[in-house]
This record gives sequence, C-alpha cells and structure tokens, in this order.
Amino acid sequence: MSSLSVSRLMMLTVLALALGLGVSMLVGSGTVLSLLTQATIYAVFALGVGLLLRQNGMVSFGHALYFGSAGYIVAIALQTHAMAAEWAILVAVLGLTLFGFVIGLVIVRVPGVAFGMLTLAVGQMAYLTASRSRGLTGGADGMSVEWPNTLFGVSSNLLFKPASLMLISWTVLVLLLLGLALGLRGRFGAITEAARDNEERARFIGIQTLVPRAAVYALSAGVTAVAGVLAALNTGFVSPEALHWSLSGVALMMVVVGGTRVLWGPALGAAIYFLAKDVLGDHAQHWMAIFGTALIVVIVFAPEGLSGLLNRLLGLKPSGGAGHAGSASAHH
Amino acid sequence: MTYVLQTDDVAIHYGGVKALDGVSITLEKGQIRGLIGPNGAGKSTVIDAITGRRPLTRGRVTLGGEDVSALGVVQRRQRGLSRSFQRTSVFGQMPVRKQVELASYKMGTADPGADADDVLRELSLDTLGDAIAADLGYGEQRRLDLAIALVGSPTVLLLDEPMAGLSVKESLDLAQHLKALALRRHVSVLLVEHDMDVVFGISDVVTVFELGRVIAQGLPAEVRADPRVREAYLGSAA
Repeated sequence: MSSLSVSRLMMLTVLALALGLGVSMLVGSGTVLSLLTQATIYAVFALGVGLLLRQNGMVSFGHALYFGSAGYIVAIALQTHAMAAEWAILVAVLGLTLFGFVIGLVIVRVPGVAFGMLTLAVGQMAYLTASRSRGLTGGADGMSVEWPNTLFGVSSNLLFKPASLMLISWTVLVLLLLGLALGLRGRFGAITEAARDNEERARFIGIQTLVPRAAVYALSAGVTAVAGVLAALNTGFVSPEALHWSLSGVALMMVVVGGTRVLWGPALGAAIYFLAKDVLGDHAQHWMAIFGTALIVVIVFAPEGLSGLLNRLLGLKPSGGAGHAGSASAHH
Repeated sequence: MTYVLQTDDVAIHYGGVKALDGVSITLEKGQIRGLIGPNGAGKSTVIDAITGRRPLTRGRVTLGGEDVSALGVVQRRQRGLSRSFQRTSVFGQMPVRKQVELASYKMGTADPGADADDVLRELSLDTLGDAIAADLGYGEQRRLDLAIALVGSPTVLLLDEPMAGLSVKESLDLAQHLKALALRRHVSVLLVEHDMDVVFGISDVVTVFELGRVIAQGLPAEVRADPRVREAYLGSAA
C-alpha cells in the first residue's frame, strides 16, 4: 500500500498526464516517439507481471500468454468482422481477465517453482497453437491487425501518428497505475498482502485465500492484456513471438530490475530496459549479456530493485506492499 | 451446563502413531485452562484438532454447543475461535496496525480501527503501529502474534506456547498481562505452555497430557500433588 495520500496521488497523476502530453507535442522525432511508445507498452506489460509478484508473491513465466492473446483476439475479431474494433478491445481485455480468473482458481493453489512451470506450460501451449493454426492466425508469419478508419471516434490518420500512439500508451499506463494504487489501498489490497505473507495465518484470521489470490492473478492478466492491445495498436501486427516464453522472461527481468516494493517499479524497469538498449546502439547485439550482468548487479546490491533503491535514497517510507522479500513467519 | 468449548473422545492418528487418543476436555466461560505435558504428549495437536488444522480420526469438537467437527479453519474462526502460534506467525511485510486491524475487520467488528488500537495498547505495541512486522524484535513479534489472535472479540482463545523463547521475566510479565486481558475481554483461554510457573500461576484449571492421553486434570494444587503427574512430568523437572 502506498503511503501517499489520495490528493497527492491525484496531483502526481495530473502531472504525469501533463508530462506525456508535453513530450508527445514537443518531441518531433518519430524514432524517439516510437521508442518511448514501445517502452511505455512494455511498462504496462511489466506492471501486470509485477502486480502478481507484489500482491501474490508469485513469479509467472507465462504472461506473454495474455500479451499475445490480446493482440490475436483483436486481430481475429477484426479479420472475421465478428464485431466492431471497440468491442474487440473490450472483449480481449475482459475476456482474458475472466480467463485469468478461472485459470487462477486452479494454478494459484500450486506453490513456488511448480506454479512458474505451470504458467510456462500454459503459455507455450498458446504459442504452439498460434504457430500451427496457419488458417486462422497465419502461423509463424503472424497476422496483421486490420484497424478500421475510426476508433472510438478518432480517425486513424490522427490515431496512428507516433505522437498519438505515445500519448495513448502513456495515458493508459498512468491511469492503470492510479487505478491500482487506489484499488490496492483498500481491503482487497490488505487481504491479498496477508495471504501473500502468510497464507496459513490468513486463514486463521478468517480469510478465504483462494478467491483473492485468483483475483490478483486475473487482474495481472488483464493489465498484461491491455499492453497486448496497445502493442497491436502500435504495430498493427501480431505474431507467435508475442506469446513466446522468452518474452515473459524479458518482462520478468524488467520487474526484477525495477523492483516491486513500489507499484511503479516494474514500469521503471521497462523504461530502463528500452532506453539503455537504445543508448548502447551498435553494441546492442550483446544486449542480453549486458542486461544479464545488470540484472545480477541489481539482485546482489539492490534486491528491492532500482525503485526500492531510489525510494531508500530519497528517504521515503517503505511501503507495506513488498513483493518477494519473504516474511519472518512460519509457513508449513 | 454448556461449555464454550468441549472435546469428546478426540483422536488423531497418523498411520500407527496415536498423536491423540481419546481426549475429552472442557472450557467454561471466562476460564483459563492450562495444558501441560512432556514433549510429544499431544498438546499442540489438541490445538490443531480444535481449530480444524488437522482432521479428526475420531471424536467431536463442540463450540458454544454447536458441533464444529466438520467445519474448516475459516468457519471456526468466524464462530469465535481464535489461536496464536508456537512458531511466531505474523504477516511479515505488512505494517503492525494494518494487520491487526484486518484481523479485527474479518471478524465483523463494528470499528476495527478502535479495536486494533485497544489491543495494541494493551500489549504495549501502540508505538509500533506503522512498523513492518519483520523489522520487530522477537518479543514484539510474539506480542503481535497474540494481538492478531485477540482482536475481533473471540470467545475462545487457544494459545500455543505464547511465552516460547521469552526470558523468565518477560514470560511472567506476559502471563499476568494475558490473565488481565482474558478477564477484561471476557474470553476463555486454553493455554499450552512449557513454563510450569506460568501455567500454575495463571490457570484456573490444569490438564496434564502424556502420550496423547489426559492423565490428570483439576485445580492447580490438586494436579501438582497428583503422584502420577509427579512421576510422568514434574518428577523430571523437580
């Protein structure tokens, strides 16, 4: 739970939204804007993965399932003219959230590494299905997303400008952060934290832990699906790569680098991932080796992630929503 | 008379091992019953049987006249049964007050904030409300464990070695504190404790276990004088 008051939270939100508007208007370079858009979309992805770690203490190796599936659901709905694009977006996000809840009711019961392996298995099933269904998804070649000429009343000429895409992605990220910060400061947040820290004691204070934990999994799936929709909007294309476990792994690395002690930690991790990759430029072919090294350094010297480190340096109060720091309590 | 808590012929067997073998105990309203016995006598297993943490092989647990043997942990807690843990069991990454308040809220308390503040003050934890549980000292975590069990006005409190790991002085302090708290909050207590001075000092009645069976029960003075108890348990300590 954040220690920020609601009014400060609102002020920060307005500032962040203004910042996005300013950047989208002032930055002229399409390359820079598209880099920022990409970083922002992955920030939303990482936010989803981080949410699961933060509120449930669980590590998913399969969240690309929700990222890629969101794109595929929209792409298939538009290609088959099954529904309007606006509905397709809604169906993708809500449908995957619901799917996440049902799957969650089963898999959150499974502890530790076994849970990670289950997420990996489910994710890879989706990857193989998309790769092999040539008729529907174009198989390994992927499929394009045939967006209509207007979306939510905005013409595609305006919508698909780099500046607009950046502004949309940023606004979505900021509003998701606000929504989660507000939503998790209430009972739901406290109940999930209790179940995360010490599930047995949680039951002994009268908490049925399964549903809240499945709800967190669903929420994290939904947030990741939003990132998938944004990616489909940004690139107009979706391929099985978007479902591959290695993408889940990248998102997880962003989460670890950014940290989950504060809500925006994973988003920071994503920003660092993309910006550092761009700064390195020509050396980017060694990118994974470099980022891997950075990952090790962070894990050793700042196990709370860079956001946790920043928070400590700035002397802010630690929040109650730590992710994986482990508890002093007895698990049986 | 109806007891707030009653076990009838409760048994828990693990394969051939009879951890509990026909245990019948009662608890009257406002009573503090101490459970003693050597290691492995089945004291903690009784608590697990009553709270629903372990399924019964045989027998019946009644809470306020209602048979709760088939109910789960959560439903028993909702009927007023609360417990603390021998190995400290708190919510490590949550602030102290937040977790106590949550425990109170889950019991349907009208004002969980005030209830939490009350209990925290009574256990001298009120200045630590914003601290993260994992950052507390051992004695403070023990008291937090108790606070989580005490909020929400439980009718029956099961304390599994609440003094474990505390110094003699800390133990006696906490024992007096607990007795006062139980009286003030009208809660009946089943106390499992190793420390003989504590058990005989604050219990109204004492039950002695050996090898999963009750070998004696009664007033502290009677139990202390019972030759079988002296042989089984006190003999080695005296």
